[in-house]
Amino acid sequence: MNKWLTLSLLGHAWLSVEAVTAAELDMFEGMFQVHGFLTQAYIKTTDNHFFGDSEDGSLDFRELGINASYRFSPRVMASAQLLSRRAGEMYDGSPDLDFAQLEYTAHTDEDDRIGLIIGRSKNSFGFYNDTRDVAATRPGIFMPQAIYWDRVRNMVLSSDGGQLHAERQHDSHLFELRLIGGKTPIDENVENSYLNPAFNPKMEQDGITLGGRLLYEWDGGRFRLALSGAFLTLDAETSLLPDGEIDIDYRVLSAQYNNGPWSLTLEYMDQPIDYKGFSGQLDVADTTVDGYYLQGNYRLHEDWELFTRYEESHYDKNDKNGSESSAKLGPPAHTFFSELWTLGVLWEPTEQLMFRAEFSNIDGTIFLSNLENNPGDTRRDWNLFSLLVSYSF
Amino acid sequence: MKTAYFAFALGFLLCFCEAAHSVDLVINLDVSQQRLSRHTVRSIFSMRTTQWPDGKPIHVFVMGDKSDLHKEFSKQLLGLFPHQLRRAWNRQIYSGMGQAPIRVDSENEMREQIANTPGAIGYLSEAFTNEHVRRISIE
Repeated sequence: MNKWLTLSLLGHAWLSVEAVTAAELDMFEGMFQVHGFLTQAYIKTTDNHFFGDSEDGSLDFRELGINASYRFSPRVMASAQLLSRRAGEMYDGSPDLDFAQLEYTAHTDEDDRIGLIIGRSKNSFGFYNDTRDVAATRPGIFMPQAIYWDRVRNMVLSSDGGQLHAERQHDSHLFELRLIGGKTPIDENVENSYLNPAFNPKMEQDGITLGGRLLYEWDGGRFRLALSGAFLTLDAETSLLPDGEIDIDYRVLSAQYNNGPWSLTLEYMDQPIDYKGFSGQLDVADTTVDGYYLQGNYRLHEDWELFTRYEESHYDKNDKNGSESSAKLGPPAHTFFSELWTLGVLWEPTEQLMFRAEFSNIDGTIFLSNLENNPGDTRRDWNLFSLLVSYSF
Repeated sequence: MKTAYFAFALGFLLCFCEAAHSVDLVINLDVSQQRLSRHTVRSIFSMRTTQWPDGKPIHVFVMGDKSDLHKEFSKQLLGLFPHQLRRAWNRQIYSGMGQAPIRVDSENEMREQIANTPGAIGYLSEAFTNEHVRRISIE
């Protein structure tokens, strides 16, 4: 259904462009727009696989996107985006409908705005989730894995349903609320992260994902604070155990301070996971995953930026070194946590082109995908070097 | 020789003054607003506010990130670096929540577009404003 909506939107837009002369094109006055991006990365790790066979140097991280939007009036806009994402063994690059939505602003005045969004829309979650696949908006080559796990990317990526959007400006204070209700497109990355791939897990969402984000901005974004949450239940079938359910609560606290060329960002995630059913055999896996990162950026010159980031993730927030989880569940302790330091440089020679280079020193492997690594064969201490080039228009 | 020095000094001063010239927020004559608050201006140029209080669509015009006038405008009137403004546009464009402003390549083009597009807003250096567009102050 959504695919047809995009096709007909794009088709309609294309026909409109074809049918008018150059002079009439000005009638659009920028109301019809097409944008896109192409990103290619190179990844080299000393050990372990991350976005492809990275020990030998991987080019298996590529993102292509194209979108079209049409503003019917100041209060009504339709937009859709197609995305092809190649990410090692996690994503094969086949095109997906990233979003296809209609936004309607029900009320607006100088200080307030209330609107509805229907269709498939990106979830505003933390500071970066809604444009996580767009290099030009990411805080680095990779999303900070402590919050925005690539191995369970689809869990909060987007939802098919409706969103409520409200904003209130009071002097230099801006409050923004987004409420989400919809189906989440679950994929095998999610299935194989919340259950052992050896069980051949299949999951379906029970009901809908409810969630939202409350964002506060002071002085045009000098200080930003956000609280995000998403709550979902997955019905799971496996080849070994009786059926069961997995309840996942995903909560993120985000804070950012921008001052001239400096910027400091902190995000913290807390994720209680409750395994129900499975005749009680997975009760032992119940846990609260947590993680945080702290990133400092400095704009050296108008085209250059340096950053450093420290990230930490734990499978069980009460077992930071993974030893208890290892004893309970089997795989080595270092697969239950990660601590990493990253240093990166960004160069934006033009408005459209960006280059990044980054180096990370990593202890632990929690964020590695089971689809790319056998947890028992991973190495605890490893380094990651990556390059990225991205063009957007 | 003295005259040459003087001319050089004068030229230098003029250049200096030119560089320090303030940038004015400029609108199409049909927009009835008399002044705008700084947060409204920020919201308009980050492509979040899309209509004037009377319901007419807002058309935002900007020059390239590298143009001196755009840099001055961003810093002086919005309190943002051009790359921060661009990131705000990108976040909107690639999440389907907004559109990009219309790009012009010169001040002449900026003035012409603002003069001819109802609901238009942009910016010009003092020397470029004329009777076909209106300067608007920020309160």
